[in-house]
This record gives sequence, C-alpha cells and structure tokens, in this order.
Amino acid sequence: MHLKTAALLLPLLATSAHSPQAQARSGLQEPATYTYQGTVHAVRTDSSSIDLITGVGFALRMVHMNIVPDTKFEAPNGKLALNDLKPGDVLRAECHRTDKGLVADRIRKIVPEGSPGAGAP
Amino acid sequence: MREGRQTSNAFVLLIAALAAAGCAGTLKPGDPVRGLTRAQRDSFAQGQALFVRVFTPETGLGPLFNAVGCGECHEEPVAGGFGDEVEQHAAAFRADQVCDPLVEQGGFVIQAHATPALKAALGIDSEPVPADATATARRTTPVVFGRGFLDLVPDAEILSRADPDDRNHDGISGRPNRFVDGRLGRFGRKALVPTLREFNEGAYIAEQGITTPGVPTEETIGGKPIPDGVDPVPEPEINRGAVDLTNAFVRFLAVPSPLKLSGEAGRGRDQFERIGCTACHIPTLRTGDSPIAALNHKEVAAFSDLLLHDMGPELADICLGLAQPSEFRTEPLIGVRLRKDFLHDGRATTLPQAIQLHGGEGAASRDRFQRLTPAEQVAVIAYLKTL
Repeated sequence: MHLKTAALLLPLLATSAHSPQAQARSGLQEPATYTYQGTVHAVRTDSSSIDLITGVGFALRMVHMNIVPDTKFEAPNGKLALNDLKPGDVLRAECHRTDKGLVADRIRKIVPEGSPGAGAP
Repeated sequence: MREGRQTSNAFVLLIAALAAAGCAGTLKPGDPVRGLTRAQRDSFAQGQALFVRVFTPETGLGPLFNAVGCGECHEEPVAGGFGDEVEQHAAAFRADQVCDPLVEQGGFVIQAHATPALKAALGIDSEPVPADATATARRTTPVVFGRGFLDLVPDAEILSRADPDDRNHDGISGRPNRFVDGRLGRFGRKALVPTLREFNEGAYIAEQGITTPGVPTEETIGGKPIPDGVDPVPEPEINRGAVDLTNAFVRFLAVPSPLKLSGEAGRGRDQFERIGCTACHIPTLRTGDSPIAALNHKEVAAFSDLLLHDMGPELADICLGLAQPSEFRTEPLIGVRLRKDFLHDGRATTLPQAIQLHGGEGAASRDRFQRLTPAEQVAVIAYLKTL
C-alpha cells in the first residue's frame, strides 16, 4: 500500500532460496537473513554504508545496507574492503535487519562470466 | 457412396486432430506455439484473459502507470502485438561511464499517468522526469510473439557471437548487456533483462503499478513515497497464479508464420544477407533445454543476436546497465511486417527509413543498401514484409 523500506524489498528471485521466507519454513530460530545481488550505486565510507540497485525486470529498487566491523568481504582475488568498492560493481550481500536498518554480514564481489576480470584468481 | 462418406469423415477427423495438436496451417499472429499439451493450451487461454484484463485503482492500478493492462499497449493486430503508445525512460550517464538508472528519483521508467487519487493528493498527472537525467528516451511497444523461444536461447550461444573488440575486423562488434545482478540480459531495447518471467513480472509494476509477489512494493513518485490513502489495495495486488498464467500466455505466443516468398522477396532475402544485415539480424537462433517440449531445442526465426551494437550518435538516447547511450540490442524482426513504426522510438515510419537511420555498426550495411538498384531495394523491403 505504501512505499516500504528498502529492507522489505524482495530479495532477488535468483536468490530466493536464501529469503527470509525460506528460512522461516525451515523452522530455524536464527535471525532472518536477506540476500541481495545487485549493482553498487553508492559507497559511503564516512557512514559505512552501501546503496545497492536490485530489482525484477524494469522494476528496479534501491537497497541501503550498513557495514559494520564484523562484515566479511570476499572477492575473486580474496581481498576486498569497503573502500575498494565503487559504483557499477556487482555484489552479493547477505544481511540481517536491525532497528537501524539492514546490516551486511557478508559481501562478495561478483565478476560476471565473460566480463573483464572474469577468471581472475 | 458409403466408402466415400467414410473417407470424408476420416479426412475431417484428421484435420480436427491436426488442428487440436496445433499442427495445421500457418501460425497467425496471436496463435500459440505448436505442440502444446492441453494443460499448456489452457494456461495460454487463461493467461490471455489476464493479459487483456483492464485494471482500475480499485483492483490495484497505479498510483502511477503507463497502461491499464498489458493489452492496452500490446494490442495490434491481436493481444501480444504492438501498439501506438510511447513511454518515456530516463537515466544518467555519469562521467565515470557508469549508468545510473536514477532509481532514487523514480527512474528509469517514467510513468505517464496518475490515478485520480494521486492527482488529488499531489496535483500531478504523471511522474516527473528526474532532475539528474542526462537523457530521456522514447520507447514504442514491441510485439512479444516468439519471446518464449528467445528466453531459451542458451547464454553460451549469445555470448559466442560477442566480439566487443571487433577482432575479426568486420566492423560489427556485439556486446552483451548485464542485469544489475550481473546476469546476461536479453529482453528490452537495451537487452537489460535476463528472463521473460522477470520481464513480465517487472512490467506489471513498472507499467501498470500492479504489485506482485515478486515485486511487492509500489513505484515511488519521483523517488518519494506514495501519500497516505491513494493506494487502497493491499500488496501484492495480484497473486502468483495470475503472474504465472500471464507468463504462460506470453511464453507460448508463436512466431507468426512468414508470408509466402514471392520471386522478388526471394531475391530480397539474398540481398539482405549479401549487404550484411544478417551479421546482426541473425536469421535463426536455437533454444536449449526446456521441460516444455514445444520449446525444447527448437529453431526460431529471431533475426537478432540479442547483443548490443553501437548504432551511432543520431539514435543515441539513454544508457542502461552496461549499454551506452548509442548501444541497442539488435531488434528481433519477428512480426516486423505488422508494424507501422520502426526503431526503438518509432521515429521511422517506413522500413526504408529505418534502414537509412542505421548508423554506427549498421552504417556499412546501410550504405550497401543505398548502393543497391531501386529494384533491389524494393526486393529487400518485400522480403522484410514477409517476416
């Protein structure tokens, strides 16, 4: 009915197995995780946060997530930090929700097959 | 006499059986693909009813929208065809060469209409164009015939034709576009969207303001939340079953059978290849594995490579994904004989005009077309009018 917060956006169809609904069905008591895969729109090192563009077809949405000291970063070459990220990078982010918004637990940089940099160690 | 009647009855039964199996005659625009099961044909029929359904604010329309139903735009000559509506897209091509679809400002699809409740609340008739847009684009309605086949062309087949650095020096490059999550795109004039299912589900919300289980949040109003009280229908506004049936209708729409080739059109086909049009407008693609037998490992007369090509500065408009402003996906020529306007924005009203407007990677073929004799040019157009 109203615009929902970014955290309520549907995790990508391609990652639906990791959706909160999927975890709820499993009966686990852990906090729900939200998995998003999208393009970096903005990296804010001052506030330690990322805006990620996700969506379905022509319906694109923005997801804002906070980065904390415990957030794990992964990249094909093994090393990645928040300030290595830039607009246009493709990420897969596993998050949980807090009363201050989404918090990223794990961020992995994706290099699409066939694109420059694919196959890098 | 009795034997003759038996023969006649058998013939009628044979024709009926062939028709039931979808094997008889030519495929008209709007027909389902051949070889569907009864259940698939039922889904096609039910999906067609949803495709032409007219939504109202009371059934979920808006509050911003471009059309009241899929069939408002995809209507000529039948549901699934083209239409005379033109919609607007907007994006910003940044100095660092990254494309910003302006999601925070309501992009990249800019809805042209507002429901009465939204108009009363905000005094707007349409979504405002984002202030940060570096370009806007006009987009006509494509036919969606045969899209179920295009959905099943393996990524590897599409990527096998990519030649972004033009290593074979034929003047044709071809680059894949990628969705925001990195998957290969193929649908849309800029080849942004990876799958037909996502294209259709995204269209429900982006074009009609109908939320679905996959996209349960409304579009913003230029990036701002919807005012209280203007959208009374709880989300999602249609259920998974309705989305699936709509998908079934689009997925099972056949490629209309080409018209019979005249001698002139046959010569035009040869010229079409000789002047290099088929370097991008690949006549046939082949589907990969599908649980749907009617779509499994089938050839489709796509006349596209589903890749991006630089079409020159005259046609350039917005960026989208990895597509730069002057890059467009090779338009499939499925059903091109049915259209009244051509190119992504409808600026050409005849096929010769559309060819003349090809620039960039299409310029060499355009020039070769211009060097043909008038009779040879007419033959090429006659061929295109059979597709």
